[in-house]
Formats: sequence, structure tokens, C-alpha cells
Amino acid sequence: MLFQKPAIKFKRECPLSGKNAPIINYKNIKLLQKYISETGKILPSRITSVSYSKQKELSSEIKKARILALLPFTNN
Amino acid sequence: MNIYEHTCILSQNLNPKDLKEIRVKIETIIEKNQGKIEKVEDWGLRNLVYPIKKFKKGYYSNIFFSGSGTAVFELEKFERIDENVLRFLTFKVKEVPKENSELCLKEENK
Repeated sequence: MLFQKPAIKFKRECPLSGKNAPIINYKNIKLLQKYISETGKILPSRITSVSYSKQKELSSEIKKARILALLPFTNN
Repeated sequence: MNIYEHTCILSQNLNPKDLKEIRVKIETIIEKNQGKIEKVEDWGLRNLVYPIKKFKKGYYSNIFFSGSGTAVFELEKFERIDENVLRFLTFKVKEVPKENSELCLKEENK
């Protein structure tokens, strides 16, 4: 039982790709804040299920926002 | 010709007259170097998430302009020397957005 694969595979779609997906931009702080942890780190895509190409876009926009003091580098 | 987006943070201590002077100076530097200003946004006084040069607040301004690399070089050269500019960031964009961003001040608050 312990090593048996689950019957239903759990699969989530990327929240940032698709037709009505929001635009990733460094000015859209409310969106970016969902993808950083409490301490200010960028969350890995295996937790947020963001696709590979969108994760790359997201991380570069978060870094732009950090330089302009819109998002924190660290938050202790 | 490329389109650039430029954002800078100006010091909190400036009075409205000096603030306008620096913003006009930035625009003249762009125009002197064969650049063309496409769009200007004023984000007003905002809290900085972390202190920069011991300041906790700053005036944000955002400019879209088309031009060559020399305009960017001359602009950043001026901003590095000026003490009242706390931070700046310039990067290439594909096109100028038609609508104002969420951070832009509404006309009632100006």
C-alpha cells in the first residue's frame, strides 16, 4: 500500500498562461506578491505550478521591482 | 531606434519647484541626444520597502522614450552624479503601453 501509485493523478494548470492570464509586469505588485515567500524569497515553481517559461519571466520582473524598492530583498 | 522604459526615484527632501526642475532636465537630456519622449507617468510620493541612502520615502517618475543608446548613456551619467536621484533603472521594451499603470496617480490626487 505504501509504495502504490495514487489512482488519480493530481495535476494543476499554470495560473499565468492561458487566455485570460494576467500580464506579468514589475508594476503589478499585487500579482508578484503572491509569488514571494514571507521572507521575500521567490517561491519555486513546483509549489506554485507556474510553467517554466512564465517562471523565468516572473523572476526577472520580481528582480526589477526589488531594485526600485517596490518589493523587499529580505523581510525579517 | 529602440524604445526604452526609464524609472527613477528622487529624494524626499526636494520642494515641488526643484522636483520639477530635475524632471525637466531629464527630458531635455533625452531630447538633446535625438530621443523622443513617448509617455510620462508620475507615481507620486511612495514608501520605499527598504531604506535607500537613509531615506524612507521617494518621488517616483516613469518615462517611455525612443532613441539610441547614447541618450541612455548621457541620462545615466547625469543621474549617477546628481545626489537627489536615489535609484534609476532603464531597460528595453517592445512597445509603449496605451493605458496608465496601476501605480500612476489619478488626476484627482495630483
